[in-house]
Amino acid sequence: MEEPTLRMRKLKVIFPSGRGIIRAVEGVDIDIEKGECVALVGESGCGKSVTSRSIMKLIDSPPALTRVDELYFGGKDIKDFSESEMRKVRGKEMAMIFQDAMEALNPVITCGKQIAEIFLRHHDMDKKEARRETVKALELVGVPEPASRAKNYPHELSGGMRQRVLLAMAFACMPKLILADEPTTSLDVTIQAQVLNELRNLQKSHDVSLLLVTHDLSVVSNLADKVYVMYSGKIVEKASLRQLFEKPHHPYSIGLLNSVPKLSDEESGFEQIPGTVPHPMRKPEGCYFHPRCNHATEKCKKEMPPLSAINDESEVRCWHPRNMEREEAMT
Amino acid sequence: MKKRQDALHIRIKRQMKRRIQGLVYFIKRLWAHPKGKIGLSVVTFLVLVALFAPIIAPFDPYDITERAEKGLSPRLQHPLGTTINTGQDIFSMLVYGTRVSLVVGITSGLSIAMVGAILGVTSGYIGGFVDNLIMRAVDVLLVIPSLPLVIVLTNVLGRDYWIIILIFVFLGWGGLARTIRSLVLVIKNSNYVRAAELAGASRWRIMIKHILPGTSHLLIMSTALSTAGIMVAEAGLSFLGLGDPTAISWGRMLAQAQEGGALLFGAWWWIIAPGIGIFLAVFSFMRIGIVLEEILNPKMQASAGIFKIFKSLDSSYVEKVFDSMDEEDRQKTGAVAPQPSAHSWEDV
Amino acid sequence: MNKDPIITLENITVDFPVKGGIPFLPKKRLQAVSDVSFSVFPGETFGIVGESGCGKSTLANTMLGIVKPSVGEVTFKGKKLFDLSRKEFKSIRRDMQMIFQDPYSSLNPRFTVFQVIAEPMIISKSATEEEMVERVGELLELVGLSKDDMHRHPSDFSGGQQQRIAIARSIILNPDFLVCDEPVAALDVSVHAQILNLLQDIQERMDITYVLISHNLAMVKNICDRIVVMYLGKVMESGRSEHIFDHAKHPYTHALLSAVLDTNVEEERELVVLKGDIPSPIDPPKGCRFYQRCPYAMQGCRTIPVPQVEIDSGHHVACHYVNGFPEGDKPEDYDKRIEQAHEEANV
Repeated sequence: MEEPTLRMRKLKVIFPSGRGIIRAVEGVDIDIEKGECVALVGESGCGKSVTSRSIMKLIDSPPALTRVDELYFGGKDIKDFSESEMRKVRGKEMAMIFQDAMEALNPVITCGKQIAEIFLRHHDMDKKEARRETVKALELVGVPEPASRAKNYPHELSGGMRQRVLLAMAFACMPKLILADEPTTSLDVTIQAQVLNELRNLQKSHDVSLLLVTHDLSVVSNLADKVYVMYSGKIVEKASLRQLFEKPHHPYSIGLLNSVPKLSDEESGFEQIPGTVPHPMRKPEGCYFHPRCNHATEKCKKEMPPLSAINDESEVRCWHPRNMEREEAMT
Repeated sequence: MKKRQDALHIRIKRQMKRRIQGLVYFIKRLWAHPKGKIGLSVVTFLVLVALFAPIIAPFDPYDITERAEKGLSPRLQHPLGTTINTGQDIFSMLVYGTRVSLVVGITSGLSIAMVGAILGVTSGYIGGFVDNLIMRAVDVLLVIPSLPLVIVLTNVLGRDYWIIILIFVFLGWGGLARTIRSLVLVIKNSNYVRAAELAGASRWRIMIKHILPGTSHLLIMSTALSTAGIMVAEAGLSFLGLGDPTAISWGRMLAQAQEGGALLFGAWWWIIAPGIGIFLAVFSFMRIGIVLEEILNPKMQASAGIFKIFKSLDSSYVEKVFDSMDEEDRQKTGAVAPQPSAHSWEDV
Repeated sequence: MNKDPIITLENITVDFPVKGGIPFLPKKRLQAVSDVSFSVFPGETFGIVGESGCGKSTLANTMLGIVKPSVGEVTFKGKKLFDLSRKEFKSIRRDMQMIFQDPYSSLNPRFTVFQVIAEPMIISKSATEEEMVERVGELLELVGLSKDDMHRHPSDFSGGQQQRIAIARSIILNPDFLVCDEPVAALDVSVHAQILNLLQDIQERMDITYVLISHNLAMVKNICDRIVVMYLGKVMESGRSEHIFDHAKHPYTHALLSAVLDTNVEEERELVVLKGDIPSPIDPPKGCRFYQRCPYAMQGCRTIPVPQVEIDSGHHVACHYVNGFPEGDKPEDYDKRIEQAHEEANV
């Protein structure tokens, strides 16, 4: 069997603050196979961004304290890698696509130079070659007239183009793993569709593993093979895309799926999850979701359920997993 | 009618109470900061000295009737000796000098904040012609060389301290007004101001209720810093002989020492004493200004606090928190996660 | 619908001069909204859908009397909004309110919740202190918060709760007309439904007319009675919501519909992915604004103005492709147009 691209066990991240400890991530396991697209879905504050940044070791301490039991990347144990060792991995073997392209790009350097810099840093290339590779990379992500676009500064490009430049930077060295943190959230719907299309094509054609971090389940539906649903620092459901969308087991996943407005909905009114996400310093006892759950029992209020397998394709952290077709689950 | 008046009364009372609580909280925060503690205590000390100057000073500093011997070196009766040319008691002069320095500094600082706030907010919020007028005035003020202007103005208008304060305010409001204006431009475009406009709020109400409070941190900070700056400037002016000739200030003491040949006679205490006064006053106000910046700017506050928190972290407790996240262990023992907020270092 | 409309927009055009440019030459103008007309009837929910730069926010500001249109007339409850005196305008404005996209920035962080919600009442000086406290308490409970939250500050609440506070503020003077500018776009997915349900609830209870601005067609579908789809300042298609969803005609509406990602993996939908960027609204073409990105466009689309044609009762479409190309029109190269669109959008 081939080695998985990423194998992470029990990632824990806390942020001590003046008023107490913020428990951002509480023991998250993530596996990503080669060429697989894994989605990490959750609401703001659930720890999904912290998780993805921790994989790249981009979380500074202070302010954070991080523990991880196992962190294997492409067969290498990078758990104890130093910052300088990680710097060699980042960009070359692992790359990140940020949400806000305007912030991720340097406004005073042309886009082309920013991409070329990656080639120069990680490959033995002279400037001419790097420039040629840059144009190639831009062409790859569907930028029209790549040679002249490379000479533009980030503010001269439209939002969709900037996001494409980020894609080009991420795919520049054909890394093994790309972490995309809300890659299309700031874009318009039609542009969003374009960029997602581009991302999917690139990922499939180059056999790159992708970790897609998003709050929007509808983005996931076209892209992911496997989905992790995160709630308040814990994985609450892990399932294949089909399984999750057709037969979600955790009440939170069901609620999330139902709260996405669908064109196919007939009745007016929206399915809603009551209440709000617990504050990361004041999490409830027992199952973190129980105050918002319609099916909570006494047991849910006292004990945190383990993540246990329901079938081959899905694992659920719930004492009373819903086991029904989605249509029924809605009612 | 009476009922309505009562309600108004209660509201005003409640507002006053809130203001006082805010002030107390503010001073507590300042006190909690080590640098702030130094600044605050020195300023309090200086204010007390200024207030009780007649009690503290053993002699009348204005007395030049040569009752005391001229040019005495420090001794019990005259802790800092007497002046060489007039025989005034230097210690008493130092004590009285505090009054001038503080009054000039604080009054100008406050007035600058007031003028800067009014003109900055007006300029930023009203915009258009008014904005243009005020900003061009600021441009002119900022490029005029101030020292020659001060010399001319003191010669024309006289050298009374109130006139000097006026001149400082006239020259000093420009920079502040400009910073406030840029902040107002940001606040003006925020949605809560738009919501207030939609609710029918008048321009006046929006300026007073929404925009001015948003600039308060800048105003408080700038008052402390400009007070310090003006105390130095005042000393400089007095040293050049442009201060009020009838009042005793630290700057004028230095000038006197120069004239009286303190260096020539080796009367170093005559020079050092007002120097220390100026240093203490400026230093303490600067300190307060810097600490205020730290307290009022949440970003700086966070980065400053986090190291402290890390130092005080109890590693065994952290381990416990980490362990409590493992569900296997928890199921074995049935233990519940420790509640982090209940721990002792909460009030760090 | 035999009632009189609550608000009518007639041939609204809004343009702004563009800063910079060559001196002495006439300034370029950015046309944010161009020749838009529609009426909103009491009690209905009216949706305006489009991407960024389509002019939906400018249109909202025009409806509320914040932005004066360069051409056209806004009539609110039979009165021409921009002909009113200041005083009349102030009194009529109490009947119209707005909810913003980002709840956090729409609440003054220095105010308490009571001050935030009661502000319109304080300004109108229509009630005593006790009445205000009572009313704010009522409203807080109506929007699903508790009376005791009155003395806390907005920053103590989550995004969804802040939006509830903003809603409470907007309805305190019993307005008839409420503009919701992307009311859930800045919130977490799981609270979208809560806020939308709350808005619908309030509408039923207080009989308010809504104008809902959104970029998400699926969200609009369940709430709105009628919808206009806008692109670059022009109305592309308008009609009752079932017209738009079941019988969409305009190519842009089709693209928007297919761009709404669905969580339904069962049925494979045909995806129309539009190529190209949204061109700049400065000096737009005379003909169809969508012409550069439209897969069906012909040469005539660029130059010949597109009329609004009623194809069903109340269902208007502005498209040469749907309503028939002018005679002798020639097809044009799609890729060339896309390139042009990119050219305009970038730099």
